[in-house]
Amino acid sequence: MNFSKRNQVWIVVALAIWLVIASLPVVWTAIISLRSYVDAFANPVKWTAPVTFENYRALWVDREFYKNFVNTAIVTLGTVSISLTVGCLAAYALARYRGALGFWLLLLALVFRALPHSTLLPSFFTMFDALGIRNTYIALIFVLVAINQPFTIWMLRSFFMNIPAELDEAAMVDGCTRFQAFRRVVIPVMWPGIVTTGLFSFLLAYNDFLLSSALTNAEKMTMPAAIANSISAESEALLMQGVAGAVSITLPLIILVVLFQRQIVSGLTQGAVKG
Amino acid sequence: MNATFLRAGLVVWLIAAPLVAQAKCGLISGKGEINVISNAFSALNDLAKEMESCSRPGLKVTVKITPEARVETERAFATASASPFAAAVVSMGTFSGLYSRGQLQNMTDLAKKYRSRYNIEESMLVRVDGEVMAIAFMKNTQNLFYRKDIFDKHNLKVPVTYAEMLATAATIKSKESSIDFPIAQTFAKGFDSATEFVNLLASHGGRMFKAGSARPEFNSDAGIQAIETMRALLPFMTPNALASNSDDVMNQFQQGKAAMGVLWASRAERMDDPRASKVVGKMEFAAAPKANASGRVAAHLWWDGVVMPKNSGQDRDVVFQVLMEALDEETTRAANDRAIWVRSIYQPTRFGAGVTATAQAGAPIWPTEPFFGLAHGEIGKVLPEALAGKLTPKTALDTAAAAYEKSAADHGFIR
Amino acid sequence: MLLLMAVPLAMTFYFSLQQCALDLELVTVTQTGPFGSQAVVTQRARQDANGKPIERCEFIGFRHYERILGLDNDTTTSAAKNEAPNEFFAALKFTLTYIISTAPLVLAIGLLLALGVQRLSTRWRAVFITSALLPFIVTPVVAALSIKWLFRDNGLIPFLLSKIGVQVFWMAEAWSAQLLIVLYGVWHSVPFAFIVLFAGLQSVPQDSLEAATIDGASKWQRFIYVTLPHLAPLVVFVLLIHVMDAYRVFEPIVVLTQGAFTTSVQYLTYFVLLQENNPFKASAASVLTMAGIAVLLVPLLIKTYREQRGIA
Repeated sequence: MNFSKRNQVWIVVALAIWLVIASLPVVWTAIISLRSYVDAFANPVKWTAPVTFENYRALWVDREFYKNFVNTAIVTLGTVSISLTVGCLAAYALARYRGALGFWLLLLALVFRALPHSTLLPSFFTMFDALGIRNTYIALIFVLVAINQPFTIWMLRSFFMNIPAELDEAAMVDGCTRFQAFRRVVIPVMWPGIVTTGLFSFLLAYNDFLLSSALTNAEKMTMPAAIANSISAESEALLMQGVAGAVSITLPLIILVVLFQRQIVSGLTQGAVKG
Repeated sequence: MNATFLRAGLVVWLIAAPLVAQAKCGLISGKGEINVISNAFSALNDLAKEMESCSRPGLKVTVKITPEARVETERAFATASASPFAAAVVSMGTFSGLYSRGQLQNMTDLAKKYRSRYNIEESMLVRVDGEVMAIAFMKNTQNLFYRKDIFDKHNLKVPVTYAEMLATAATIKSKESSIDFPIAQTFAKGFDSATEFVNLLASHGGRMFKAGSARPEFNSDAGIQAIETMRALLPFMTPNALASNSDDVMNQFQQGKAAMGVLWASRAERMDDPRASKVVGKMEFAAAPKANASGRVAAHLWWDGVVMPKNSGQDRDVVFQVLMEALDEETTRAANDRAIWVRSIYQPTRFGAGVTATAQAGAPIWPTEPFFGLAHGEIGKVLPEALAGKLTPKTALDTAAAAYEKSAADHGFIR
Repeated sequence: MLLLMAVPLAMTFYFSLQQCALDLELVTVTQTGPFGSQAVVTQRARQDANGKPIERCEFIGFRHYERILGLDNDTTTSAAKNEAPNEFFAALKFTLTYIISTAPLVLAIGLLLALGVQRLSTRWRAVFITSALLPFIVTPVVAALSIKWLFRDNGLIPFLLSKIGVQVFWMAEAWSAQLLIVLYGVWHSVPFAFIVLFAGLQSVPQDSLEAATIDGASKWQRFIYVTLPHLAPLVVFVLLIHVMDAYRVFEPIVVLTQGAFTTSVQYLTYFVLLQENNPFKASAASVLTMAGIAVLLVPLLIKTYREQRGIA
């Protein structure tokens, strides 16, 4: 394409402005996480200050934040794998099934996504107390899957719709059962879509704070819930641990996006585009 | 000689090592998985660590520190099955509600049984009609924080009333160039501003409820005066005051941006940590001011303590001992400056001077009515509107009173 | 799957029609503690033979709903009622304001960024996409806190603004507190719009673009007649997701303003649940919240329904 140099410059400038806006809060938090409280929250703001790793040491060594990290890993992986498994099956069925029921299911699923998470807490409490599974990973995963499912199904469905039904019909002619056709033929084609949807599920489970802090006790709390608690804990030492925690939580996310950035784009290109 | 010495040392070590290990939680026999829920502030982190250090094979102690502890504790203690928490660290506001709903375990026998081992003092026992329902360990109150250096420089007296405080603030604002906003207080929506209101209401001679009933009376003239007193402070506070919670106010003091204000005494010690504060040694603490010369100081006395639910599914002896290990004399001694401890071995520091002064000036005990929290919550919701001038004080208080009456009726307090 | 979602929804509705309360009696007790002894008038739950507090539950129909919507007649409040706005409608109003003011900005900025990145070389694209996604992936509590720290008294942003002569206290007034929440919303949601629309741009049919070029269409015309129609379903998709997510706005309100001058439907439910400790009334607030989103989504859903029927 023949674009004039000047246009190109303007585009780069505009994009650079967004980059600054997008990254400033995170970068600033990273900067103050390396300071002691008096400098981090100085009034007026301080540009330079002595660097200290004390906040990170206090968080990871004294507070044993790695335990929260493990919790987050369990909850997140559990949520992603279950919601993808259930989601794939449901979305496949919805994409192939052509009746009004499918629409109503979808509608229910959508309402569920829009639902403020706190609205469901009373009924979840009652359910989990009755089942005796309050303060378990299962309970938290269960809730996160439920909340996440609509989005998962919605996205996966649009990926499946792009796969011609003839493909699995052809497979079935070749002697596969419906399930085998799904597993051997459809899934491989769907891979980028599954990665993309999985990433969104990952974000939801990884980032949740309200549910985790309400449903779990100290030893099962995920990272965001632990951080949120220490930040409003009326103590600047804890607050600074919270700041270090905020940065610690964000790093894995950045790595993840760097790794999967290409799949996200190609996944979205294939799926949502036509949805 | 040398070898003998070594051998003797080895013997001593072999004997002493188990003893040392036993020193902390060593006498607790029993197993369990003990979850504790705790409010969040700095001294409580020390306690949480003490409790968790009792963990060993077969006995697991974890403490959930959360700013939403009150509601979560209430919910946990209300479950029909075993409570998910075997104990809770609560302030007296939470205690009254739990007690009135009959959800607390009577600890009278436990307190008696372990009295000598942990040297549990009578003043630590919170008794209702003689029965021990909680063990208190620290006191807290709001008191006046002020910059001694600035007061000295301009020859200012420590204000005793809010009127004097305003006059002092005006002087500082005009004379002290380093201070733009002399007063800092917790006016944030919700708990913070509602607590200031309750303090001032009492000081203006008002009452929260009609005598012997749960019906509201805070929408009175005294209530209106309380809001007006708060509004009068606003011109001397940062414009962001309506979003200023305890952390923000503490930061304003630590950064040397405010010269005086009422704040929790548990924060006083944080003024002298050079990693957190630019005003090390410059802050002093006095009694909270009065709303007017004839009134009581506008502050309430609080205690923090530990309670156990009626049914936790855990061995109550073990739970109690874990709690007492954390509340022992050693903790008070080691963290003497971190809080105003109830134990008699506590050595008062200058950080506690404001509490003593506030108590001596006749500060009442924080209301213990079980329905008080509901009223407090409704007030906190509308107060910012009144402070910002969007609603008249009267309208705001009437709105809160009406909302409170409905929610108190839902809970069965008003029929 | 249906069970996962339908059961909590049904339970929420069931709860909302009830109210449980303890059977309380008025008692005077002597309370002793660190501050000495005092007689206190309090209420205490009556207990059954097993020492369990007696609780009575009552079916109250739609009373909670009437209260939340301010439809109940209560003579004591009529004076205050006229002046003080109903909480639920105030929350709904700000939530809608938030959705309506963020949506167009999110779409417009997202589209501009997508178009801009399209012009970058492949190597730079990867770098840009990764960093541009940051606001979307960062944990919302963390993000809201980071922004709060930027905007505090003499924080980085107010400090920089004061250097150019603009003195703003962001939490001081309704307009600025609300603007701050909206800015957060835009900041947080733009990356999602950007990445979806960018993905959409990758599949714009090249032959149509070429055909249009041969027909002498200008760059602008090609954009209007080829690219935009291709992106239209995606815009709907982004809008749908944004409306649903924005309807739940919660973290920035709690963190940034502590609810001063701003409130939202989720904040309200949270408040009823926590401050009033009344799960029954909170359930009613939840059901109303659901009704709200259903109404909001109707236009988008009708479109989806038509699409579905078209396929069927």
